Amino acid sequence: MTGMDAILHGGLQGYLVVALLLFFLGLATVLLRRTLLMQFMGVELMLNAANVALLAFARFRGGDAQAMVFYLFIIAVAACEAAVGLALIIGLYRHRDTTDSDRAASLKQ
Amino acid sequence: MFITFALITLLGALGMLLQKNVVVAGLCMVAAFFGVAGLFVLLANPVAAALQIIVYTGAIMVLVLFVIMMLNSHQEEEAQASHPVQRWLSLALLAVLALGGVKLVMGSAGLKALAEKGSTMPQAMTLEKVGTALFADHLLGFEVAGLVLLAAMIGAVALTKRNL
Repeated sequence: MTGMDAILHGGLQGYLVVALLLFFLGLATVLLRRTLLMQFMGVELMLNAANVALLAFARFRGGDAQAMVFYLFIIAVAACEAAVGLALIIGLYRHRDTTDSDRAASLKQ
Repeated sequence: MFITFALITLLGALGMLLQKNVVVAGLCMVAAFFGVAGLFVLLANPVAAALQIIVYTGAIMVLVLFVIMMLNSHQEEEAQASHPVQRWLSLALLAVLALGGVKLVMGSAGLKALAEKGSTMPQAMTLEKVGTALFADHLLGFEVAGLVLLAAMIGAVALTKRNL
């Protein structure tokens, strides 16, 4: 399978291209949207793109179980990041009454 | 099958990027996560697909939607100052990086060789295999992950609670 065929029928390169585009869509969300919650969701999307690439490589190396262990660790870190990140957004909203990252650019009130 | 799930994933992510309403954007992201779960099934990894749905679409997205509704910020606030130059510059940079990355992936001889070598479908991942690898080789990492989750839980409570 080469070229377009890999993209259309799920060769390794097809999965990697999907992971790459997913990562850049997440990065675009972080860079272009101003709402902190949207930026947070963009970060989650980027983490997911990394997972797709990791598990695609694992499958093409013969179903490696080590990759699943790392996938579990990534998910644990993503869950921690979700809890702490959302708590920070709530704290910011309480202090400044905004979820816009431009309005929270300085540390001083 | 692959192209269907890939399109669900990418269109969900694109919908999230373009959607003005934050709740609808969150639901677009759920679609993207389901697409990723479908891709994991196609990668002979039903364990990862189940975890993806339970953790991401189940736990994390419910948390995010709760916070969106609690903060009552469904629409994006008015921009304080528009930064057209920075926005277009970042968009152009992203497009160049994405195109370069795709070109790199498609042109790589090593990836092509790896794809040829692993073209036979491996046996599906089972919980048994994952558990053996996790508890035989990565027991310390497992324990540390539990500690990190506990620390995050305590931190989240400490950050949100007004007076402990």
